Amino acid sequence: MTSSAAAAASSASASASAAPSPESTRSFQGFRDLRLIGRQVRFEQLSFWLNPFGALFTIVFSVLFLVLLSSTAGSQNISYYAGIKATQYYVPSFIAYGIMSSCFNIQAITLVNRREMGLLKRLRLSPLPTPLLMAAIFISSMIVAAIGVILLFLIGKIAYGVHGPASTLAVVVTTLVGMLAFTGLAVGMSTVVPNADAAGPMVSLTFFLLVAFSGLYFPIQPGSTLSNIADIFPVRHMISGMNTAFNAPPGSSPWPWHDYLVLLAWGVVGSFLALRRWSWSPRRG
Amino acid sequence: MPAVSVRHLAKSYGDKTAVRDVSFEVEKGEVFALLGPNGAGKTTTIEILEGFRDRSGGDVTTLGVDPANRSTQRWLRNRIGVVLQELAVEPYYSVRQVLSRNAGYYPSPRPVDEVIELIGLKEKADERVKKLSGGQQRRLDVGLGIIGNPELLFLDEPTTGLDPSGRRDSWDLIRQLSADGTTVMLTTHYMDEVEALADRVAVLNNQEIVAMGTPSSIGGRDSSEVTIRFLLPPGLDAVDVPVPVQASDDGSVEIRTSDELRVLHTLTGWALEKELTLVGLSVLRASLEDTYLALTRETS
Repeated sequence: MTSSAAAAASSASASASAAPSPESTRSFQGFRDLRLIGRQVRFEQLSFWLNPFGALFTIVFSVLFLVLLSSTAGSQNISYYAGIKATQYYVPSFIAYGIMSSCFNIQAITLVNRREMGLLKRLRLSPLPTPLLMAAIFISSMIVAAIGVILLFLIGKIAYGVHGPASTLAVVVTTLVGMLAFTGLAVGMSTVVPNADAAGPMVSLTFFLLVAFSGLYFPIQPGSTLSNIADIFPVRHMISGMNTAFNAPPGSSPWPWHDYLVLLAWGVVGSFLALRRWSWSPRRG
Repeated sequence: MPAVSVRHLAKSYGDKTAVRDVSFEVEKGEVFALLGPNGAGKTTTIEILEGFRDRSGGDVTTLGVDPANRSTQRWLRNRIGVVLQELAVEPYYSVRQVLSRNAGYYPSPRPVDEVIELIGLKEKADERVKKLSGGQQRRLDVGLGIIGNPELLFLDEPTTGLDPSGRRDSWDLIRQLSADGTTVMLTTHYMDEVEALADRVAVLNNQEIVAMGTPSSIGGRDSSEVTIRFLLPPGLDAVDVPVPVQASDDGSVEIRTSDELRVLHTLTGWALEKELTLVGLSVLRASLEDTYLALTRETS
């Protein structure tokens, strides 16, 4: 520590005294708070892209798998999906995967790690209001998901010449519904994970198992036993919902209302769990 | 108005008591220490003062407002700084990035470069947090506590895990902040930390305050007995000494007294008259550690 720093320190502390009264400091401050959210989203994005793990699992994995599967099995036709080419199925499926990976898998693990490292507690004790912080965290993971959606769509279009989407609006709505549902589930899941060591295995194992038997890597015949089991869980509905929005044949509806319903119900379950069990302090269970 | 006022504070989780009937005040500009063993209630008390935890009973004000009052919480958090017991810094940002981010939360933060200099991380300003040593991360943690230019700074065991030079640096920083008018409230296990920094100290044990005062007077340290010790001159017996002494096997004698001035006068007068040398003559007052151990043992 130097004397110049000490002098600067005294001048800074002197400037803090003129201040509003406790009562006039509102908890929501309009434009200033919107700017705060924007600023926090920027820092959340910085944190995400500086950590190779998150980017690897969401963006790189989905692109890699899409390219791998489309290059090997992409030209086969799927009889129970109106005979469409497998690539035509994989593109919306991996778009769904990108959304789930970013909003659920990475988000849940990050929340547990932040809680266990005391980062949530520290932010809770800063003047950044909690709703603003949570909004910024959610928006940031949605941005990552959106980047994945656009990237996979472009790769599908340019490299594999996929058609569609059947309804752009339905794809956008399905994306938003998925983001909301899996964000709710991520926060709920994070409250069930007892410590940082368990976060990766618990969250990712659940996620990758569900993804595998919900038809990401190989399409599942509707009505099969596997399909009936997978139908209980939200991952299957995210994949099939995105496929409906993307690949609905002319004359049939591109709106997967039933999938939305199941997704949102799971989102509500996750949010309910989150509200009941949320903790700002490390659990270290 | 005191910076912190606590009256009959109580906190329990179910039937487990965390804090019981704790009362104290911290004046503006003061460095106040809460000293006590693990589980004594130090962190719970501080978390209630920060508004992080709700209390079960009693009255508390922090900078004049009730920290549990949601409508004044944002005002309060603009004015307090917190350094948690355990390191809490994002690993992927650089030092400058994480300080800049947090500076943006406050209405009148300290300049980022000034804080970097204060915490002695000028050379590491653009280094990623995860590449810093433990001590450097701890300093950054303190930097995050003061970036908002707080009127009141809470430090929960700020030097746990630091090497001796890191501790000295942290002490210098805390003294500096205190000299600039920041009120500091810290918890610690270390007696030397209390002696080096605190204007006043409260000792917590078994969820309640067992003693409070200045570090030099707490637990009756200023008025309690001293131990006078010296080596018995050759050829003499313990009974030859003009005051009652206790002899030990190593040839030294000890006198425990609360009237050290008179006893020393008698002893030195006697030695001068007999032309004796009292080798190793020393007067030992109970250390803060002795006092603390006695206080926490009595009530355990």
